[in-house]
Amino acid sequence: MTKKSLCNEEDFNEFYRSNIQFVTNFSSYKSNDKDTALDLIQEAFLRMWEKCSEISYEKAKSYLFTSVNNLFLNKLKHEKVVLNYAKNSPYIDINNQSPEYLLEEEEFKDKLKNAIENLTEAEREVFLLNRIDGKKYREIAELLNISQKAVEKRMSSALKKLRTKIELL
Amino acid sequence: MKDEKYILKWLNGEIPDEELSLLKQDKSFKNLEKIAHYSSQIETPKVDIEKALKEFGLKKTTVKKSKVISFNYKSVYKYAAAVIVLLVSSYFLFFNNSASFSTQYAETKTFNLPDNSEVILNANSNISFNKKKWEDNRNLQLDGEAYFKVKKGKSFTVNTSLGKVTVLGTQFNVKKRKNFFEVKTFEGLVSVQYKNTLVKLAKGKVFKVINDTIQGVTTFNINDKYWLQNESNFKSIPLKFVIDDLQNQYDYTVSTKNINLDQLYTGGFTHTDINIALQAITIPLQLSYTIEGKNITIYKNDK
Repeated sequence: MTKKSLCNEEDFNEFYRSNIQFVTNFSSYKSNDKDTALDLIQEAFLRMWEKCSEISYEKAKSYLFTSVNNLFLNKLKHEKVVLNYAKNSPYIDINNQSPEYLLEEEEFKDKLKNAIENLTEAEREVFLLNRIDGKKYREIAELLNISQKAVEKRMSSALKKLRTKIELL
Repeated sequence: MKDEKYILKWLNGEIPDEELSLLKQDKSFKNLEKIAHYSSQIETPKVDIEKALKEFGLKKTTVKKSKVISFNYKSVYKYAAAVIVLLVSSYFLFFNNSASFSTQYAETKTFNLPDNSEVILNANSNISFNKKKWEDNRNLQLDGEAYFKVKKGKSFTVNTSLGKVTVLGTQFNVKKRKNFFEVKTFEGLVSVQYKNTLVKLAKGKVFKVINDTIQGVTTFNINDKYWLQNESNFKSIPLKFVIDDLQNQYDYTVSTKNINLDQLYTGGFTHTDINIALQAITIPLQLSYTIEGKNITIYKNDK
């Protein structure tokens, strides 16, 4: 089997297809400015295409996230992130249809959403990469170029904030 | 919370069963479960992967350009706009030194130029010049008729769309109306340029161009400063131009019926009374007129 290379157009497109959604998710945890985000993501891919010979296929994902992170640093509007739930998302107890239960759950969801929006960017991106994209701490650490310990720290401080906010309200 | 380690393991999907059952005993685990469940349902922007890839393919082909454009282009526009506004406003503040004077129908104006040369502007006329450059370059634009008393100094130039008059220090009158160009010298020597013709005009001489035809140099009475004394005077001038002048001096519209507008008129009219003025024009040419509101009709006498 020949080794995959970013300089091969087919391999590069495969890499692009399997990561564009993921990296867009990642950008949405950091900013609401979708158009600029997509521009910057495209630019990150473009830099990789230009430097394809210097990047191994195995390290490509980590490289992509690092450059997106760097590009985002100064160029994205750092307004408050606004999140929304997917439509028709199921409640935790799908068999309970009583109006009281549904109302209670809606209230909970609302509080949670607010609490997540108020996390720091570092906490939010780690927490949502784990929750939405189902990434393990080790993977997140690799992508963000930080240690697994740091990921766990961010995770637990995020959780702590969410729990206090929800139990207080 | 001492269960923190377990919770982190649980969220990472790596918790052994016995630890999970311990965790589940905790009262607050229900909330934790909800947090874990609902946070994973947050929506992310859906990417049309093939479309994005296509756009990316286009970007790839214009690598060098797109790199430069996407670099902070929004703020570059912002600064460019600010700089343009600054330049434009400072240009108008500091460099726009043009001055202009104009008169309406039936109005004359007397004013001094920056070097104290005197200008008397006849009705329906306009003069403009550059204040700042005046010291070095006595140059002005005239449309209409004006009398100049020029202080001695560097050359003084009156530009009109028909011809150009240059002097050193003198008194003269320039009249430029539609298809009519006339220069009269009251003192000193005036040089008149009309297209390729250059004429030196001495005191008491008049130079006329009517309908693009040079009428040559004739004499006039220098004590007769006609419009300055509220009078217009003509010597063998087609009636058409006399009527134009009448319309400039009085705010009336003149129409004519069955009249030869090219017949020559010698005489003058006052600027103070429309009836006397009309009589002065019509009687010598055996014409009649009527006035209705602001309209005057001139027609041939019935025999």
